[in-house]
Amino acid sequence: MSQKLNFYEMPGAPERRLDNILDLDDIMYVENLKMHFPVTRGLLKREVGTVKAVDGVSFHIKRSQTLGIVGESGSGKSTIGNCLLRNLNITSGNIYYEGHNMNDLNRRSLQKMRKNLQMITQDPFASLDPRMNIMDVVSEGLKIHHVLDNKAELYDFVVRQLEMVGINPDFRFRYPHEFSGGQRQRISIARALALQPNFIVCDEVVSALDVSIQAQIVNLLMKLQENMKLTYVFIGHDLSVVRYISNQVAVLYLGKVMELTDSDELYDHPLHPYTQALISAAPIPNPVVDRARERILLEGEIPSPINPPKGCNFCTRCKYADERCRTEEPKMVDVGGNHLVACHRVAGA
Amino acid sequence: MEQDVILEVKDLKTYFYNHGRELRAVDGLSYQVHRGECVAIIGESGSGKTVSALSILRLISYPPGLVMGGQVLFKGRDLLKMNDEEYRRIRGKEISMIFQEPSAALNPVATIGDQIVENILLHSNVKREEARQRAVELLAEVGIPNAQERVKQYPFEFSGGMQQRAMIAMAMSCGPDVLIADEPTTALDVTVQAQVLEQLNRLRQSRNMALLIITHNLGVVARYADSVKIMYGGKIVEDGSVEDVFLRPAHPYTLGLIRAVPRLDLPRTHGLHTIEGEPPDMSKIGPNCCAFHLRCAYADEQCQNCRPPLEQVGDDHFCACHHRDLLDEERKEVLME
Repeated sequence: MSQKLNFYEMPGAPERRLDNILDLDDIMYVENLKMHFPVTRGLLKREVGTVKAVDGVSFHIKRSQTLGIVGESGSGKSTIGNCLLRNLNITSGNIYYEGHNMNDLNRRSLQKMRKNLQMITQDPFASLDPRMNIMDVVSEGLKIHHVLDNKAELYDFVVRQLEMVGINPDFRFRYPHEFSGGQRQRISIARALALQPNFIVCDEVVSALDVSIQAQIVNLLMKLQENMKLTYVFIGHDLSVVRYISNQVAVLYLGKVMELTDSDELYDHPLHPYTQALISAAPIPNPVVDRARERILLEGEIPSPINPPKGCNFCTRCKYADERCRTEEPKMVDVGGNHLVACHRVAGA
Repeated sequence: MEQDVILEVKDLKTYFYNHGRELRAVDGLSYQVHRGECVAIIGESGSGKTVSALSILRLISYPPGLVMGGQVLFKGRDLLKMNDEEYRRIRGKEISMIFQEPSAALNPVATIGDQIVENILLHSNVKREEARQRAVELLAEVGIPNAQERVKQYPFEFSGGMQQRAMIAMAMSCGPDVLIADEPTTALDVTVQAQVLEQLNRLRQSRNMALLIITHNLGVVARYADSVKIMYGGKIVEDGSVEDVFLRPAHPYTLGLIRAVPRLDLPRTHGLHTIEGEPPDMSKIGPNCCAFHLRCAYADEQCQNCRPPLEQVGDDHFCACHHRDLLDEERKEVLME
């Protein structure tokens, strides 16, 4: 990997456009991202509605930092991850990566850009091809992008890569089924890092793992981030893990960001009623501390994104909801100190 | 107090046989459950926690599994010695279970109502209409809105949280004395998890039912359990009240688990504490060693050659470790946090 080129130095790369980006520290800027899926019915695929999986989301991601995204299932958090890598063709909005609008990229330049953008997924059992040994798994991307074609170099590289994530390189000819969940997640990490990306979407990477293994993987991800200056988008539903690994956390509900701020600020001063309920629902593993906490129990479940409520998305489950919440959608307001929140109650205070 | 013991597991051994190899999934498990108590069994995957519950319900099928020894005393009678007919009258009525994946545990081609009614008709002498009415009441009781209509629906029309509630309604249908919940909320969202657990806890208190929760979520245990058993490698390594186990852990594995979970209420530390290695492969660990010795920082020769017995370390607090005295330093460090 001696001849690693910057994305903009690669032949055929588009010109770098800096006018779109406000802050050079930002590696990615997402502006009013929307991802709607059609709901079809019948033989003719008549469109009968849309699932607004992601509905107007904006945020910045700082270089070498971690943005956490928390939300319940159906909140659109994985869809955002897929949009950022352009695995999905977004409905509207703009995603700027390194100052360049990804909407303007053609297929070839998008493929080149994807070298820098990688993803690690939740299920370590489904995400590795059962018929490829892990040598092939880790080196596949290098072959596709013709980074290393020399067999001996490839071999050395895979050995180094496996050592880096804590897998014994002697196992390189084994197949995924011979590894445990935690080891497979390490292999997924080695695969994602093979092309030396600088931006990685981690989609529920520790959710399927045992407690003791979860800590190992979180530590590994943080160590790699420090050594390789990686930027993470860390998607999860476990607030304590997301807060632990992230610099900033976005709380997502029905495709919209409810609150976005520094991870410690989010826990110390949650402003949105949904964030407060989420924090309260996450039990703390200490019986004395936990049993002394005030508990907010949310009624009901997340509504269907096909038919979201009018006004504020959270109004159906919010105990403070009033007439205004049911008719008017709250705007995202900065209450100071980089703390963004979308709630009438807070904005009015 | 002794009279209050409703379920007692004594030296339970469940082994699996595969290609001539013996795997000791549960190897000498003993514990007591009192009436109305919430007992939590904590363990990682492969620790034998689910197998131990299935053994109590006699749901281990042979081949490959076999309950090799021990007793399960329910109200003083040994469940393992009963014939199938006798046991069928108890399972689903006096002892019932909630499974981990509600979507997999419910019958997809029968309505929710029919599935609840089936259990009621099996165990009591009531008319179908009466049972149906009872099913509606049960669904309403576990917090399903519009139960009158919902009872006619199929499992796929229910969300994950609703399915789990239906499972609870089914398990509660004959008023059990012991309810075993195997990872009841693992598949659910945090807010729904809180609802379901709150519901279970309310039912436990209102009916004085014993609740046996099997989980790996330490937070859930800290919130609801009275007594906690930590399982590792098919055995209990620590057993005590929730305060003992969380605030005065005696086993290095317990301490490791507690330290491995990031805490929402504490400032972030640099790097999580980890337990090195992987959960043990039980087919490779001999019977005469501490199952944890390969991952333990305190392990020495004694741990490789001698299985530590479960010894009393306080009132109702037991621990199986040769070196629990060495733990004091680390424990102090944790309590400082």
